[in-house]
Amino acid sequence: MRTRALLLTIAGAMLGLSPVRAQVIVVHSAAKIAEISRSDLRDIFIGASTSFRDGSRAIPVTLKDGPVHEEFLKNYLGRSNTAFLALWRALLFAGHGTMPQAFDTEAMLIDRVASAPGTIGYIGVSTKCEKVKALVVK
Amino acid sequence: MRRVPALILAATLGAGSVLAQQAPQFHGFATEGFLYSGSNNYLGMDTSSGSGAWIEAAVSGNEQISDQVRVGAQVHFTRLGKFGDSIASVDWALVDWKLNQRLGLRAGKVKIRWGLYNDTQDADPGYLWSLLPESMYAVDVRATNLSQYGAELYGGQRLGDKLGEFAYSLYYGYYFYAPNDGYMEGFREQGLSFTKRPGGITPGFDLRWKTPVKGLMLGGSLMLYNASGNLVNGAFRQPLTYWPAYYAQYDIGKLSLVGQYMRLVQYTDLAIAGEARSIALSDSRAWFSMASYRLTDKLQIGAYHTRYLVTSSGQESDPANHFYDSVVSGRYDVNSYFYLKLEGHYIDGNGLGFYGFDNPNGLKPHTNLLVAKVGFSF
Repeated sequence: MRTRALLLTIAGAMLGLSPVRAQVIVVHSAAKIAEISRSDLRDIFIGASTSFRDGSRAIPVTLKDGPVHEEFLKNYLGRSNTAFLALWRALLFAGHGTMPQAFDTEAMLIDRVASAPGTIGYIGVSTKCEKVKALVVK
Repeated sequence: MRRVPALILAATLGAGSVLAQQAPQFHGFATEGFLYSGSNNYLGMDTSSGSGAWIEAAVSGNEQISDQVRVGAQVHFTRLGKFGDSIASVDWALVDWKLNQRLGLRAGKVKIRWGLYNDTQDADPGYLWSLLPESMYAVDVRATNLSQYGAELYGGQRLGDKLGEFAYSLYYGYYFYAPNDGYMEGFREQGLSFTKRPGGITPGFDLRWKTPVKGLMLGGSLMLYNASGNLVNGAFRQPLTYWPAYYAQYDIGKLSLVGQYMRLVQYTDLAIAGEARSIALSDSRAWFSMASYRLTDKLQIGAYHTRYLVTSSGQESDPANHFYDSVVSGRYDVNSYFYLKLEGHYIDGNGLGFYGFDNPNGLKPHTNLLVAKVGFSF
């Protein structure tokens, strides 16, 4: 059994599958949703979806860089920052949309989410987020 | 009273909306490609001596007027040896009204969705590959089919957890053969000289199904087009042509597998003074399969094989009637702005991408090609 578990872990690592880590997904405090699926979250952040399950508009916002940003991309999108940017640039250069608004700090991102209904972002698990609503990721 | 129109305009455009609060976005890229081939010259360049005559650049601007309305435009410059622009041209320029997830409308000069990559094929920063499969996304003729003057309805619908979801694009517009690409060179080499460049309508659709199987997407496209143009000594016409493509993509973690098939049956009707009217049939089929894998955050590798056959020739083994390309490729992202690409091709046949003007002594049946590229995007 140990060998099998080890092989599965190695196979998972080779395919870029990693366990969920500690980021908090945040939305505007007036949002009606309380949870989001991993696939919906991924679709919103790769530009494949522009709405939540309840039909309301979803607008992704991101951090520009840093460990929280990179961990989020890796854990929920399965992509590096360069792959993430390449994906959005392909959409942008084809005229299909605009890049998500990116912020230098988590405080700036929280301020944006707190003031803009429909936005969805992420912060580190240790960051205070009273101004915004945290979502449960299923 | 003057405030009334302003208030109506603000209400219409949603001046207080979330997206409209964002600053206009400006992005761009520039690439330089170097090609070296062991024998034949390829893609209108002197590749057998080594050529760096492949330069591309683009700048786009987007302004989100409201949560639902965006305006944007992109200018693009391509120089591919003999082909391409002497100045930058408008790649797309549009108004995009996205009512909701299910329905959006783009109007203006709009990219055409056909197969997996038609609308994004001139956005080099988005790809591992230096050259997409020539069998369907030929860089020397892409300018003609990239975009159309018209409108596109687009959107998607979730079908539930057990059925996945679909996305669609439905379009109608007008297009013209690009003034200086491989199509026009091919016509010139057939002795055709135009006084009015061919153009016509180009309706079509694309439908993609994101299946319940995680990472698996299936899709199909159909582009229709016709063309008419005036020759110095006659008329050129292509009746309505159906150009279907079927494709699949499977992403699992760092691995991506892709396949696509297409068939094109095209008639070309030439009425030339002093000659009998001729109607030529070209029936061609092509497919490609690709695999790519992200080794590290910065390094991605991949390989693809593509085949193109002119089945109407009846002599598919003749190198002029087929094009097989086996490719290995790598991309290294130096940082978020700069990247390097290196790609090797083994080409069997010369049914695509090879021209008489830069191969005056004829073509050899096989071509080895090395492509190196450096790119910058912001």
